[in-house]
Amino acid sequence: MYFNKKRCIAMLLAGGQGSRLKVLTEKTAKPAVPFGGKYRIIDFPLSNCVNSGIDTVGILTQYQPLELNEYIGNGQPWGLNKTHSCAQVLPPYERHDKKSGWYKGTANAIYQNIDFIERFDPEYVVILSGDHIYKMDYDAMVRYHEKHKADCTIAVRDVPLEEASRFGILNTNPDHSIYEFEEKPAKPKSTNASMGIYVFNWKVLREFLIADEEDPTSSNDFGKNIIPKLLNSGHKLMAYTFDGYWKDVGTIDSLWEANMELLGKNPAFNIRGDEKFKIFARNNALHSTYIDANAKTVNCFIAEGSEVYGTVRHSVISTGCTIGEGALVEDSVIMPGVSIATGAIVRHAIIGEGTKICRGAVVGGTFAPNERKKISVTHKNAVLEENTVLLPGEMI
Amino acid sequence: MSIQGIIFANIYDSSLGELTNKRTMASLPYGGRYRQIDFTLSNMSNAGIRRIGIISRYNYQSLMAHIGSGDEWDLDLQEGGLEYLTPFSLSSESSYRGKIDALNSVMAYLEYGGDDDYVVLADSSVLCNIDLQKVVEAHIASGRDMTIVAKKGIANGTKLLDLAMTLDENGEIDDMAVDYVAPENYCASMGLFIMDKKTLIRNVENCMARSYYRFERDLILRLWQKGELSVNIYLFDGVALFNESTEEYYKNNLALIRKDVREGLFGPRPIYTKVRDRVPTYYGENTITENCVVADGCMLEGCLVNSVVFRDVTIKEGARVKNCLVMNDTVIGENCELECVILDKNVTVRPGSKLIGTSKNPIIIKRGEIV
Repeated sequence: MYFNKKRCIAMLLAGGQGSRLKVLTEKTAKPAVPFGGKYRIIDFPLSNCVNSGIDTVGILTQYQPLELNEYIGNGQPWGLNKTHSCAQVLPPYERHDKKSGWYKGTANAIYQNIDFIERFDPEYVVILSGDHIYKMDYDAMVRYHEKHKADCTIAVRDVPLEEASRFGILNTNPDHSIYEFEEKPAKPKSTNASMGIYVFNWKVLREFLIADEEDPTSSNDFGKNIIPKLLNSGHKLMAYTFDGYWKDVGTIDSLWEANMELLGKNPAFNIRGDEKFKIFARNNALHSTYIDANAKTVNCFIAEGSEVYGTVRHSVISTGCTIGEGALVEDSVIMPGVSIATGAIVRHAIIGEGTKICRGAVVGGTFAPNERKKISVTHKNAVLEENTVLLPGEMI
Repeated sequence: MSIQGIIFANIYDSSLGELTNKRTMASLPYGGRYRQIDFTLSNMSNAGIRRIGIISRYNYQSLMAHIGSGDEWDLDLQEGGLEYLTPFSLSSESSYRGKIDALNSVMAYLEYGGDDDYVVLADSSVLCNIDLQKVVEAHIASGRDMTIVAKKGIANGTKLLDLAMTLDENGEIDDMAVDYVAPENYCASMGLFIMDKKTLIRNVENCMARSYYRFERDLILRLWQKGELSVNIYLFDGVALFNESTEEYYKNNLALIRKDVREGLFGPRPIYTKVRDRVPTYYGENTITENCVVADGCMLEGCLVNSVVFRDVTIKEGARVKNCLVMNDTVIGENCELECVILDKNVTVRPGSKLIGTSKNPIIIKRGEIV
């Protein structure tokens, strides 16, 4: 078992429904939602793990896992299929001790997989969630955790005070040790928002997971239960400040925004950037993209395997899409395999995978610069018949 | 019925000059994201061929780097899979003169795993998307010793064909010629042959015993003339691109601008290639892109017309690129003007440069050059 010993492994919580993504997560787990032309949300934490030297990742799945499981496969695209590395999908299972059942909360999901973690006898366990777009060196955070001899370290980012009441806020001493955790406080005392990324000493976490499971009043959640219990019992919790790009893409608006933030000469999120922080994805066999003589492609991302005959402005076009002659796509996210027929107009929209937009259909609208953009959305494999209209903010 | 594949990686190398100075014909980049051998390998893989030998004489580093274990073509297998048949893997010969020589030198590989009934032999200079299963079935139905896959409309009275034939109204061979500048009524061999393995081995041995080493001239034409080889012709009616000269290579890349060519070459069966996993291509605020085939990972800010752009290419603002092939990782600086240029991998074109070639004689900028 010598080679199985790991200093640090990661557990990725990928089982949530992501109900605020509405029709986009009707049949797909949130981490499997397409992003940025060729990626899926889970590519970001998975690639971060690999780029941080973490080669063992447990992926906890529960809600609509079919597509996610297929996408992860054996972990080959992220190099996690080697003899001593893995991307292990961990669904709920039937146990001998009647504690089986669906994952009741984030902490319970980890509790049910204590045996998986024990196989690697790790010093540290990194807990991640599958709904954020960012590039982060988890190893730097683990070293920070180690240096401060903490029991738990939580990644935080500075948010504007007026937004702080939407987050879990960590109140810290000058040495960045945490003395208080407040979930969505009405009157926030600080602006350190939790990013939902934790490093734990495994021995400490294990003990608290077991105790938490015995507590019938607990909702078995990291934020609500485990962190407050650790604080109350005098354990050392540290805040680790992350100031890079980070976006929770849990809502239609934020998913659309994050896609738009890839665009421009100096994008808010430079997905190209540093090769050491490359984001890996599963790639299909697709040919190069064709841009027709009458096409216009301005300030946009266009992934491989697409055919563009119309006009694309300020948009993300994913793999295997067709944009027909005279069609207009503006300020939109077009997910993989979408076809937009001649003369159709798509503005301020997220078009779900495999959607067919027929001739002359009109989706979404335009907004004044300061107006809130109401994003129109179509579900996977939707069909929008000829000359139909999908109003701004409408969903099918 | 099981089929073995043999791919000749170096055929025609010399006719592509600078482009194949440091690579094989098989590893010549094509169509934005492919190498020529991707088509042959994918055709074989799609037909369920699971034992493939790649015969390579020299310059095979880029070929091996590209194919690796063959994972992308589902050829990274416990049983069978890919075998690199390079000169140094042989005991005595260091190189070979022709395909018969080459086959003779890998006789052990051909004989080993003798449970394959048929062998598909392929060059890597002709690109197509062909159902090889159907070709082998037609070969078996014909009852002949060999099937040659051939294409009409390639012979034009100026192109030198290594094997050409005319057919009578029953599809039987009327005339056959090698190294022949054939008139238009001839059909051209696509360098794709099917034989049953025992016949292939026997004929290679017979040729070697007489010091015959050229496959088309000695094993096919000579034996056919003597009545010792019965030949069936399979006329392929799909898209077939012969990349046997720089001019053809240039023209056939730009042919991808045509929808029928793209559809015929990339479907219905997928063509696999090595995954490079790049970000989607970014088209800038002031970019103009018209009639282009563009791979992933590029940053396009200039004006790009009638061109094929490979992976990770940067075209800076104000640059005008027309009728060009721009290979991987090449950077074209601000305000350049390029027309009819083949830019090999990793080329840097300094801002303001002007390079104008012609479609008959495109300018070639060698790999890694700074101009």
